[in-house]
Amino acid sequence: MSVSKKWYSLDLGSNKKKESSGSCGCGKAQGSCNSQKEELSADEFYEAAINASIGEERHRDGFEQVFDVKMDRRTAFRKLTASLLIGAGAVSTSCSVIVDDETKEKAQIDWEEQFKGNYKLMTDDEKQSTINRLMRSYELRTGKNISMTAENAAEDVLFGYAFNISKCQGYMNCVTACVEENNQDRNSQMQYIRIHEMKDGEGFKFDKADDNYYHEVPAEGHFYMGTQCFHCDNPPCVEVCPVQATWKEEDGLVVIDYDWCVGCRYCMAACPYDGRRFNWSKPEVPENEINKNQHYLGNRMRKKGVMEKCTFCVQRTRKGKNPACAEACPTGARIFGNLLDPNSTIRWVLENKKVFRLKEDLGTEPKFWYFMD
Amino acid sequence: MKNKTLTYYFIVLFILGFYSCKEEGEYHSISDKIEAEGKPYHGKLSSDPLLVDSELITITEGEHTFLIPERKGQIKSFACTECHTRPVAQMKNSDAQKAHWDIKLNHANSEVMNCATCHNGNDMNNLNALTGQNIDFNLSYKLCAQCHFSQFEDWKGGAHGKKVAGWAPPRASMTCVNCHNPHSPGFEKRWPVQFNTQTLEERKEGLDH
Repeated sequence: MSVSKKWYSLDLGSNKKKESSGSCGCGKAQGSCNSQKEELSADEFYEAAINASIGEERHRDGFEQVFDVKMDRRTAFRKLTASLLIGAGAVSTSCSVIVDDETKEKAQIDWEEQFKGNYKLMTDDEKQSTINRLMRSYELRTGKNISMTAENAAEDVLFGYAFNISKCQGYMNCVTACVEENNQDRNSQMQYIRIHEMKDGEGFKFDKADDNYYHEVPAEGHFYMGTQCFHCDNPPCVEVCPVQATWKEEDGLVVIDYDWCVGCRYCMAACPYDGRRFNWSKPEVPENEINKNQHYLGNRMRKKGVMEKCTFCVQRTRKGKNPACAEACPTGARIFGNLLDPNSTIRWVLENKKVFRLKEDLGTEPKFWYFMD
Repeated sequence: MKNKTLTYYFIVLFILGFYSCKEEGEYHSISDKIEAEGKPYHGKLSSDPLLVDSELITITEGEHTFLIPERKGQIKSFACTECHTRPVAQMKNSDAQKAHWDIKLNHANSEVMNCATCHNGNDMNNLNALTGQNIDFNLSYKLCAQCHFSQFEDWKGGAHGKKVAGWAPPRASMTCVNCHNPHSPGFEKRWPVQFNTQTLEERKEGLDH
């Protein structure tokens, strides 16, 4: 099992199936995989970090993606410190006779999570083990169980969305449903969807529109339109990401690996539609409000300093359900479906209604159309 | 000699243009992509498991065949003839308890519509078309479609109304009365369910863009 892994494995004795590597008591950890380096000394970390070139980054995974890249001294030290802290923690935990098995298991999970690779490059088995670790880690920390999947894109599926601007009345049920479904931070009141209240007869003027109104709706002389991530087919956010933490899946969803994101917010600046959100603080959701049906790329709990955004509710839509916003809409303004299915309702809308997209001339090819009755 | 060079240039340009135009898996627009990747279509996902708990009936309208929720089982006091044992005209003046006192018709104006536009006083178990023909309660959309034909077209295609559970086939769509109260079909003004006080704070402090 550990042979196929792309990072060093620690055996803290909590994993009964594996044979103990007997690294306890010596003050240093030994790698159990067949990677080219056998010892985790700080010197070697440093060597690996400064010697390698960045050009092969694409082909590297796991441990190599973290350390085997060209970086400046400061970054290298920072990474080393973080990893060594975890390593030292793991070693001291494993050597201690006082700590219980759970703490050891926690340390083991933290270790594996620190060195796992980019989700995009993981095999299905690796995806499965990372979600198993995340579920176990949640259980260890809170005593509660969550269900997390790593479902891949289905064949012959390309998700698309249509929004009827003559139907939307601005009730914002979609916004509430989205926040509840996707475990967004309650403190900063993060919302993926914005409903813009626009004046009749003035066209789309986002600078004059209000997306945080509070009065009876629909207001006289106004119409409403919603924006969120449009899951562009030519997404500028993906191109600017320096660490490839965001990418377009086979079914057209633009997703983020929250564990790979470094929080540089380039994507936020690149998005012409204000589709992306940043966690300035540690996202917090009351335990009883957490949606426990999660997807690795979707609504699992995020951490401070990473980007997130609408995923068309990947945890729902890959199971055939509608996104939470479409389900919650009381007016039927939101149509969701498979663009490749010639009998789907979204295809009928595109072929029979007069549709348009926002800022079409940018060439981003959003898969989010607007139409009118 | 000059001519020859020019010809070479053109050939090179042509070849370059030919190759640079399209890489595999890249399309000029999303409609090209849909066109190219949608054929042949054999999606496997099905929303059948999501629909097992809903009572649905299959309808065919024009070229569209899809499922809609069954209605009669949802009406609390169906069948109507359990109370309406006699024609309405005969029951009207009796001292019996009023059953539908809470229904106020708020649909078109009284010149255009009254109860008898849709209900048949002599056959309360069925709805009544403009021509006097019976329409089954399960197929009440036919009644609405008599006037609202453009909405009917959109609904058949899927541009109007909501789906029952998911996007995957088979298609199951809500019917008119699942969202609209037939006696008062318009949506009322109300307060939005969400208000972002954090954004308000930020705006006050001038942090908003």
